[in-house]
Amino acid sequence: MDGGTLLHGLNLIYELATLALTTLGLAVVFGLLGVMNMAHGEFVMLGAYSVVAVQQWGLPTLVAFPLAIVVCSALGWVVERWLIRPLYARPFDTLLATWALAMLMRKVVEAIWGKGFRNVEDALTVAMPIGNTAYPAYRLGLIALAVVLIGALFLWYRRTNTGLRVRAMVGNPTLAQALGIDTRKLASRTFIVGVVLAGVSGVMLAPLIRIEPNIGVDYLLDAFFVLVVGGLGTLAGLAGGVGIIGGAQALVSSMAGQTNGYATVLIISILFLWLRPDGIFSRR
Amino acid sequence: MASSLVADRAAAAGERRLRGRSLWPAAALAAALIALPILGNDFLAYQVALFLVYGIATQGVALCWGRLGFLPLGHGLFFGLGAYLAGDVLKASAEQPAWLLGLLPAVLLPALLAWVVARLLFARSLRSGPYFSLITLAMTMLGFLAAQQWSGLTGGFNGMGNIPEPSGLERFTTLYWLIAAVAVGTTALLGTLIRRPIGTLWSAIAQNEDRMQLFGYATDKLKADAYGLSALLAALAGALFAAHQGIVTPQAMSFVLSTEFVIWAAVGGKASPLGALLGAVLVGYASSELRDHFASWEIFIGLLFIAVVRFLPEGLAGLSARRSRGQAVPASNALVEATTAPPARAPKQVPGLEFNDVRCTRGGVRILGGLSFSLQGPGIRAVIGPNGAGKTSAFNVMTGRLPATGGRIRLADQDITGWPAWRVARLGVGRKMQVPSVFPELTVRQNLSVAVWAGRLHGLAALQRAPHGWQTSLRGEMMEWFPELSQSLDSPAGQLSQGHRQALEFAMTVLPEPHLLLLDEPCAGLSPAETHRMIDVIQRAVQRLGAGALLIEHDLAAVAALRGDVYVFHQGHLLAQGPLQNLQSDPAVREVYAGARK
Repeated sequence: MDGGTLLHGLNLIYELATLALTTLGLAVVFGLLGVMNMAHGEFVMLGAYSVVAVQQWGLPTLVAFPLAIVVCSALGWVVERWLIRPLYARPFDTLLATWALAMLMRKVVEAIWGKGFRNVEDALTVAMPIGNTAYPAYRLGLIALAVVLIGALFLWYRRTNTGLRVRAMVGNPTLAQALGIDTRKLASRTFIVGVVLAGVSGVMLAPLIRIEPNIGVDYLLDAFFVLVVGGLGTLAGLAGGVGIIGGAQALVSSMAGQTNGYATVLIISILFLWLRPDGIFSRR
Repeated sequence: MASSLVADRAAAAGERRLRGRSLWPAAALAAALIALPILGNDFLAYQVALFLVYGIATQGVALCWGRLGFLPLGHGLFFGLGAYLAGDVLKASAEQPAWLLGLLPAVLLPALLAWVVARLLFARSLRSGPYFSLITLAMTMLGFLAAQQWSGLTGGFNGMGNIPEPSGLERFTTLYWLIAAVAVGTTALLGTLIRRPIGTLWSAIAQNEDRMQLFGYATDKLKADAYGLSALLAALAGALFAAHQGIVTPQAMSFVLSTEFVIWAAVGGKASPLGALLGAVLVGYASSELRDHFASWEIFIGLLFIAVVRFLPEGLAGLSARRSRGQAVPASNALVEATTAPPARAPKQVPGLEFNDVRCTRGGVRILGGLSFSLQGPGIRAVIGPNGAGKTSAFNVMTGRLPATGGRIRLADQDITGWPAWRVARLGVGRKMQVPSVFPELTVRQNLSVAVWAGRLHGLAALQRAPHGWQTSLRGEMMEWFPELSQSLDSPAGQLSQGHRQALEFAMTVLPEPHLLLLDEPCAGLSPAETHRMIDVIQRAVQRLGAGALLIEHDLAAVAALRGDVYVFHQGHLLAQGPLQNLQSDPAVREVYAGARK
């Protein structure tokens, strides 16, 4: 394999990995709880800004991980408890309430750090030699983290007791309650897991992107489209969705420019929403 | 005679009051908009006009969301299309005034696009849930990309500029009056439509779309029509925007603007045309004024929006309505003069029904395993069988709720396998659900009207007031048989007790005068006395209509009282058929009921 092909391949894997990473949180919140969390992208944004904060305070960049986890889980708990829990039965209203929350988060961050772009210092700029080419180590680390997180999430969902209880709650909440599962607490924790995943992905992405308060919307929409195309609640669906959306975007963008790449994603999503609303793997 | 005259006069007076009530929001708005430039100044009016324009589009969003229960997240698309098209037309009209006629297609084309899209989407799936909203959102984003990309047509990022006003109007003075007049007009139009039969049908769809389908209403078409109308309002607003601003940029077609329409509708009141308009004017204008003075203004708007969604689902308009009346849906048909309804469209003879080896499997579970039976001619047949025998599923397969995986169903010499519920209903089939299914927030009177209109309300009649007063002789008899309904005509159906709801749903099922009735445990949850009366009423109604009926019932005493043939279902197929006495001695039936065979 020559260096150019390898580089293209690695770039594609890297793009799919970032897409998977930013989708994971929504896969939990929307896929399992059925909450269309319009503030998902803003939790990614919070993660990125925790890197900004940590570097402002002169702390080591790794501190951003615990900071993002603490901030996102605290906010997630409050939001689930006071905003989402009363609205579970009203899907449009959860959508709007989280949309309002997203606005609020954007504006608060804007009030603190301003509207402008921010860049954080890249910790691992070194390139790692692979075959007869070299690739940024940080990107490789991000790909590895995406794989690890997906694996961990899958094991948590399929193999642990909590995962079993979550599956029971998703399948039949009333019956799960009758069996003694505290679905309120469980839903709250599941929500927190989802938003913390979003925050962590934001921390990872921070050195690679231009950070500003409005970056959330793009992550939100891409994640929604992945979940719609792939279908909810399965790992294969997540992988399929990431492959189709990320692959189409990368392919068309490289051939016909970014705008057309994005237009392709939109058209694919519209067709899926219309013709196969349960995703590629649905049997119906 | 004299008393009925007095009653008529009272009704006529009430009707005048009612008509006044449907127009007072538009009248109050007109007064305020006339006062604005006089008390304020022309520049204030110019500024407010922009938000009146946004408010008209917001009314469109509120129509779909507050009345029909589906949320359009992408009305910016139609607003932007209207703006760009009108911009082109206005530019052309500067040289040749006849081009102004082009404003008509500029407003109609976006609405047509919306209507076609909604027809395609709703024909495929009736679900009004968030997926519809996401599609409209994605379409708007596509439109935004196109507006930026096709700069030859739209001027790209910099926008289409130098758009003149319509000839004879001046942007900073007289154009205000056109915009104000349109805003008053749309408010009056929507206020009127809501109180006409079409408005009742819209609310009924939002509350219980399945029930509407079982009455034979093509709800996918009704929803697409409403979506087209709401897009028409957005495109009209877009055209006014082009004239008012003189420039149209891709922002007019953006996701951000689309969500602002939603926010304004939520804050102002999604069920109220005036509320939605004022939501846009007050929140939008205040934001544009205060955004620069207070750094935390946007945070305040965010908090306000959260508070409204969480605590005030009907917005600020809901707050005032709650204080004045205590119920959101107007009892619009209470005082319209009674007239005889036109004859029902349902066929006048019993449609022959034939199940031929119908199979249905869902998720590995066999629900129907080759069900065959037929029914010809009038009279009641009971359907019995243990739980899980496939009784309700047989009804569901027939009315499009469950897909048949094999076999054919024929009705009135047509193959109806896989038809949607509304088409089956139009062949003269009425269905009563096991759990009584009514429109909980409509009054009992409105519930009955929706049933009477089924198959009778054609075309423009849905826009006229008269159908609110339609009476049929069967409706009169139902009121005699179920006096409890005639006593609670003006209370919401959701407040009725289980027994009264059973009565209401049965009455609604027979009012379209179907000739094949599918009655799913109509006596469930009734006391023995009520059961007795219900069976009696069913027999009378079926006889009165000359209809055939299939009645699922567990109570064998009630079945015996019916004296018709009985079908015994077991594990998804027909086990036996005949008079009850014969079946009671049938060893196969005895085994099933004694539990000897599973």
